Amino acid sequence: MVHALRQAHRVLKSGGLLIDLRPAPANRRVGIISGGRYRRLGTTRESLDLDRAAERAVRRAQRAGLFRLETGIRFDCRRVMDTPADFRAWILELVARRAAPPHDRLIRRVERAFGRARTGRLLIMEGPVMVRALRRLDSRLTS
Amino acid sequence: MSLRIDPEQREVGALVRVAEWRGRHVLEIGCGDGRLSLRLARLGAVVCGIDPDRAQIRNARRRLRRFSRRVRFRVGQAERLAHGAGSFDVVVLSWAL
Repeated sequence: MVHALRQAHRVLKSGGLLIDLRPAPANRRVGIISGGRYRRLGTTRESLDLDRAAERAVRRAQRAGLFRLETGIRFDCRRVMDTPADFRAWILELVARRAAPPHDRLIRRVERAFGRARTGRLLIMEGPVMVRALRRLDSRLTS
Repeated sequence: MSLRIDPEQREVGALVRVAEWRGRHVLEIGCGDGRLSLRLARLGAVVCGIDPDRAQIRNARRRLRRFSRRVRFRVGQAERLAHGAGSFDVVVLSWAL
């Protein structure tokens, strides 16, 4: 991540912007919409170590004089899926990518809730995302 | 898999609030299947998207169509960018950990 930030600094024009867009370090909420009503089914249990390490790397790049934070916005980002099979595929990918424990109980809960619901069924994953705009500074450290 | 990411486009809403995109040369690092690159192109940016995953880049190129003049996708890694110094107005680190 530190190398990536130095590379980003190199390819940016003087005064250019680095946009850092990543999930905030928090687990994601899982729920179902049926008949126009939302019901929460649980949360994911992910390792947040990578998110925290990335945030530390960005702060280190700021301290090194590469970038200056201009603004930051936090918002909730949704993923919408049509079937429990979609949810299962997504969560298995998440488990592999983010060193998360198996989510078998959550998968079963989602499958049961989906089976009981009758109309307009949608599965929703929602979690906070941060977007930060950092201004490139001309740094003697990297010249 | 039927998955719709950010159907309300809150991500684009946030990006519009933090930067100007029209006419900007943008490098998106970690572009995946090109979802965000295409949204940035719709905002008027000229986008180069890179990702280390060849399969994702193939998927991204399939999605190009009408934005093909304003978007390019390449296999590449954030730690070894092939671009020259000062090539871009904006670099987007996209969900890159």
